[in-house]
Amino acid sequence: MEWRRAQEVRDRVVPEEVTALLQLALFPGFLFLIVLAFFIEWFDRKLVAKFQNRYGPLHVGPKGILQPFADFVKLLSKEDITPEFADRTPFLLMPLLMFALAVTPLFSVPIADHSALVSFEGDLIVVMFLMTLTALLLLVGAWVSTNRFSTIGGIRTGLQLFGYEIPQNLVMVGPAIATGSLSVSRIVQQQTGGIWFVLTQPLGFVVFAICLLAHLQRVPFDIPEAETEIVGGWLVEFGGRKLALIRLAKDLELVLAGSLMTSLYLGGTGGLDSLSALVYLLKLLACVFILSNLRALFARYRIDQLLVGAWKYLIPLALLQIGLVEVFPW
Amino acid sequence: MSTITIPFGPQHPALEEPINFIFEVEEEKVVNVTPRLGYIHRGIEKLAENRTYLQNVYLAERICGICSFAHAACYSQAVEGLLGTEVPEKARFIRTIIGEMERVQNHYLWLGLTAKEMGFETLFMYAWRDREKMLEILELISGKRVNYGVNTIGGVRCDISSEMLEEIKDKLHQLEERAEYYKSVCTKDQTVLKRTVDVGILAPRDALELCAVGPTLRASGVARDVRSDYPYAAYGEVPLRVVTYKGCDVFSRILVRIDEILVSTGIVEYALENLPSGPIRVRVPRAVPEGEAVSLVEAPRGEDLHYLKSDGSEKPVRLKVRAPTLANLLPLCKMLVDVNIADIPVVIAGIDPCIACAERVMMIDAESRKRKMWSGEELRRYAIEWYQKR
Repeated sequence: MEWRRAQEVRDRVVPEEVTALLQLALFPGFLFLIVLAFFIEWFDRKLVAKFQNRYGPLHVGPKGILQPFADFVKLLSKEDITPEFADRTPFLLMPLLMFALAVTPLFSVPIADHSALVSFEGDLIVVMFLMTLTALLLLVGAWVSTNRFSTIGGIRTGLQLFGYEIPQNLVMVGPAIATGSLSVSRIVQQQTGGIWFVLTQPLGFVVFAICLLAHLQRVPFDIPEAETEIVGGWLVEFGGRKLALIRLAKDLELVLAGSLMTSLYLGGTGGLDSLSALVYLLKLLACVFILSNLRALFARYRIDQLLVGAWKYLIPLALLQIGLVEVFPW
Repeated sequence: MSTITIPFGPQHPALEEPINFIFEVEEEKVVNVTPRLGYIHRGIEKLAENRTYLQNVYLAERICGICSFAHAACYSQAVEGLLGTEVPEKARFIRTIIGEMERVQNHYLWLGLTAKEMGFETLFMYAWRDREKMLEILELISGKRVNYGVNTIGGVRCDISSEMLEEIKDKLHQLEERAEYYKSVCTKDQTVLKRTVDVGILAPRDALELCAVGPTLRASGVARDVRSDYPYAAYGEVPLRVVTYKGCDVFSRILVRIDEILVSTGIVEYALENLPSGPIRVRVPRAVPEGEAVSLVEAPRGEDLHYLKSDGSEKPVRLKVRAPTLANLLPLCKMLVDVNIADIPVVIAGIDPCIACAERVMMIDAESRKRKMWSGEELRRYAIEWYQKR
């Protein structure tokens, strides 16, 4: 218990405000999350490249690990264009808001400890709400950029939301019912003592992974971006610094998706007592591995096929899972 | 319900070459489509009139990067027809072999591109990786990966030696295996089926009336193939099966092309086994007797037509090329009506378009927005008047 005593000493010497500030800014706050986002992007790119028999990033840093950061810096230095007919204020705000919406829910997910930085009863609802807001924000961003391709992309984002949002939120509630709490941290703590929810609610885990693919707009659900069809969809008018921020936000969303899978279904930081951050990272990588694997396997669906599939299969399966949890609440 | 017009191209990620389509769209359905060519016109036909017959072989080869052999062979055949030259038997076999090899690499390339339009990146990467094997074979024989420079008037320039045979057969075998595998992938993968079955319908009757050619026509169930209808090179002497499917959709076009890969590798193997001995080319005079000739070749994308007119000098008076893509443009517009916006790239890719091949003179009146084709004579008169006015 040497470690616990050191912590107590630290708590007495360093004022609580300073610790909180450091946690917010460095670990597990902004800096850690951004570095993690770049790392996860590299991991995802490298993995998909391996699946597709390519090399992937190779030159910047060892094994190309700094490539996402280099891309970010390159985009920062590019010319920043706002279309003449675009609605200026929302168009400029959109990347910032997207970044904020991607990073905020991550503070409610336990990363370094069994309890998250911002943890209260009901934070799961806030996470759901912010994830839905992200999709709506894309619709607004597409609309104000007044490009025909981005308008189609934005409308597709909205339609896609109708498809995946309901089953996604249903299966996110599953672990909450089993725990009896609407707090992500409490759900993690519940699993630390007992059994992982992926074992008691496997159906929910599968539905959740599929819905997250749709939320992240990755193959086979990259319908709103669909480069070969609508040239990048809602992204098409964003360039330079705005695109850099949007890409970072998308990486953070991938981190969020992996973290939620980890926390809600795989026991989050629980496992080894003193190495919770490491446990979290390993589980996160496993989740990203699943998401990347799915990305390399399929062709793109059409928007009508996604909606039909979601209402025909995902929602009944999610409801079935909730029913099962109600009957057998472990 | 009002229609929205959506421009598609000339710059678009789904297009490898510049062409413009203007789609009139109701909700997600296309109701009308207007194609517009003219972004990549290179004046090759005019250029051909200023070069000798032999130089033009290499010019014809550059009409298209992918079916370069088909164009060069088609042109050479036309000149040989005017000269009355009998091409040696071995040269005819080598032409058949290279032609079929080109078909294999083209169909692999096409499979990858179509997969990419569907968003199936992994299949794209795999198909292009396997295509490398065929390019390596072609490099082994001719020294080049594209624009092989194999043809010449009166025969071919490269021989296939017995040392190459083992490597070629080994790689052909691998290509066959991969084609079988891709066939099973495309027929079993749900996402591929969802994106291609019943998409881009071209009824057999429409296909015939709008003069579709090549795999596009054969996927509508019409068994037409220059190789069996008007055999050239050594096609009368090798086993050839004309592949047809009756689905009339993009899925059938995929199956036709994958089956053609298998047929082609079969032909190459047979031709290599039965390769005759003897010379590979004969000497021909530089000047070509007066006359006209039409030559047909089944390029990977369909029937390729070259018309050649000679006045007895060393240079042709007129070379006219009708590349398969031009013939397939009207059927394409028919297919595009009533498809989803999301399916447009897949349908366009379905005909295997090669825009640079298809570019011929077209005049567009900017004021009335009307367009018309001009004959060579009209164009000449217009040019003379234009220069006189200056």
